Amino acid sequence: MDNVKLDVPQGSIYGFLGPNGAGKTTTLRLLLGLLRNQQGDIEIFGKSFSSQRIEILKRLGSLIEQPSLYGHLTARENLEIYRRIYKCNKLRVEEVLKLVGLENTGKKKAKQFSLGMKQRLSIAVALLHQPELLILDEPTNGLDPNGIIEVRELLKKLNKEFGTTVLVSSHILNEVERMATHVGIIHKGKMLFQGTLHELQQMKTKQAELEIETNDNSRAVQLLQAEFSLQQKENKILIPFKNNEQSAKINRLLVQNGVDVFALHPQQSDLEQLFLDITSNN
Amino acid sequence: MSLSISIRTELIKAKRSSAFWLCLIGSGFIPAIFLIMYLVRPNKIIPTLTEHPWESHFEKGWQSFAAFLLPMFVILVCSMIPQIEFKNNTWKQVFASPQSLGNIFFSKFTTILLMVLFLFFMFNFFMFGNAVLANLIFKKYPFLSQAPDWISLLKINLKTFVSLLGIISIQYWLSLRFKNFIVPIAIGLALLITSLILLQWEHADKIPFAFPLLTFISMSDGGQKSSLFQNHELNSIGYFIFFTALAFFDMKYRKERG
Repeated sequence: MDNVKLDVPQGSIYGFLGPNGAGKTTTLRLLLGLLRNQQGDIEIFGKSFSSQRIEILKRLGSLIEQPSLYGHLTARENLEIYRRIYKCNKLRVEEVLKLVGLENTGKKKAKQFSLGMKQRLSIAVALLHQPELLILDEPTNGLDPNGIIEVRELLKKLNKEFGTTVLVSSHILNEVERMATHVGIIHKGKMLFQGTLHELQQMKTKQAELEIETNDNSRAVQLLQAEFSLQQKENKILIPFKNNEQSAKINRLLVQNGVDVFALHPQQSDLEQLFLDITSNN
Repeated sequence: MSLSISIRTELIKAKRSSAFWLCLIGSGFIPAIFLIMYLVRPNKIIPTLTEHPWESHFEKGWQSFAAFLLPMFVILVCSMIPQIEFKNNTWKQVFASPQSLGNIFFSKFTTILLMVLFLFFMFNFFMFGNAVLANLIFKKYPFLSQAPDWISLLKINLKTFVSLLGIISIQYWLSLRFKNFIVPIAIGLALLITSLILLQWEHADKIPFAFPLLTFISMSDGGQKSSLFQNHELNSIGYFIFFTALAFFDMKYRKERG
C-alpha cells in the first residue's frame, strides 16, 4: 500500500474498484484493524486508528468477504450477539430483519440459509447500530443475479433513506457503475483514479471512438486521412471522437463525395475497456 | 464496553454448540456406565459400599473420569470454543466490533472455564442421580440412608479444577494459534499420553498434563491430611498465569487477525 487515500464523501456510495490482487481487501482489512500496518498510520473520520480503535469501530459497520455468521444460531440469535456488543435497543433486531427481508426465518439456523440470505443477514449485522459508514468487501461475490440485485437495491435504499455512507469494493465494473456515486480505482497498491461517477464517465467519453461503416472504405480513408487520425479495423474506420459537430462534418464529407454511409456512431469504450486502459498505462 | 457483555455474547455463541453437547454428554458417560453396573450386578457391588457408600462411589467415579476422560474433554472444549469462530469465518467480525482485545480474549477464556465448570457440575449431578436411581430400584443400596461427605466432595472438585488450569491455558493458546482444530487436539492428546507414561518420574509434578491424575492419586492416598493445594497444583496455577499471558500477547501482536 502506497499512500492510499480514499475520499469518501459523507452520504456517498463509494465504489472501490480494482482487479483481484490489487489491494482492495488489504486496504479494507487495514481500515478495520484486521491487518497490522507495517509502517505509517491509518486515519478514519480524521482520527488515528491505532489510538482510537474502539471509538472508530463503533461508527463503522463491516462485511469482509464471505458472510460472518454463526451457523448453529438463528438469524435473531446472530443479531442478538452484536446487539449486545453495540448496545442497541431490542427493537433494532426486528427493524433490521425487516429491512433485509429476513423477518420470517423463525427457528431456521443460519447454516440452512441460501448464500443470498446469509449475505443479507451479514448486512443486517453490519447495520444494527446504524453506522455512519458501511464497509463492504465484494458483497455480491458468489450471488446469483437475483441476489446481486437484492443487495444492490438494499445498499441504494440504505444510502437514500438513512443517509448511510457506503464504501463497497468490487472487481465488477458494471456493478459499481450501477450504484456508486463516487469511484476509486486501485491497482498494485496505488490509487489510479478517484472522483465522481460523472468524472469517470467523462473520461470514458474522452476515450470514445467514432465508428464508421461505408460501402467503400478505401475511398473514405482517402477522404478522411488528411484531416483525421484514423485507423481501420475489420470493415470499420475508427476516429477518436470529439463531439457531434465532428460526426456531422465527417458524414457530410463522405456523402458529398459519393460514399454511402451505413453507420456512423460514437463507440464508447465500456468501463472494462477504460479500466484496462488506465491500468495498462500505469 | 464491559467484559460481562462480551462474556454474555460468548455464552450465546456456545449455546447449542458442539462444546456444549460434549460437556453434557461427556459428563454423563461414566455415570451412565456406573448406573448400568449398579443395576446389572447389585449383589456384587452392594457389599463394597457398606462403610462410606458415597465416598467410595465418588472416588471410583472420579478415578475413571480424572485419569484420562476429563483432560481429554478439556482439551476438546478448549479447541471447540475458538473453533466456533474459525469454522464460521467470524473472527474478522469479532475483531472489527468495538471490543478491546482484552475483552475478546478473556471473554472466550472465561467461557471455556465456565464450560469446564459446567462439565464438573453435570458430572457430580449425574453421579448423584445414578446412585439415587439405583437405590430407588434396589432398596438394598445404602445411598439414601447416608449423607454424602460434602466437604471432601467439594475438595476433590476444587483440587481437580485447579490441576486442570495449566492444561486449559496451554490448550487455549494452541487453539487460538491453529486454525485447524486437529492440531491442538493432537498436541494435547500426545502430551496427555506422554504424561501418563511419565507419571512415576520424580519430576512428574512439573508436567501439566499429569496434574489431574496426580491430584486424584493424592486424594485417594488420604490427601485430606495435607494442605489444601500440593506442589503440582501450585505449579498448575503458575503454568496457567504464564500461558494465559503468552496467549494474550501472542494474539495482541499477531500481524493478521480474523
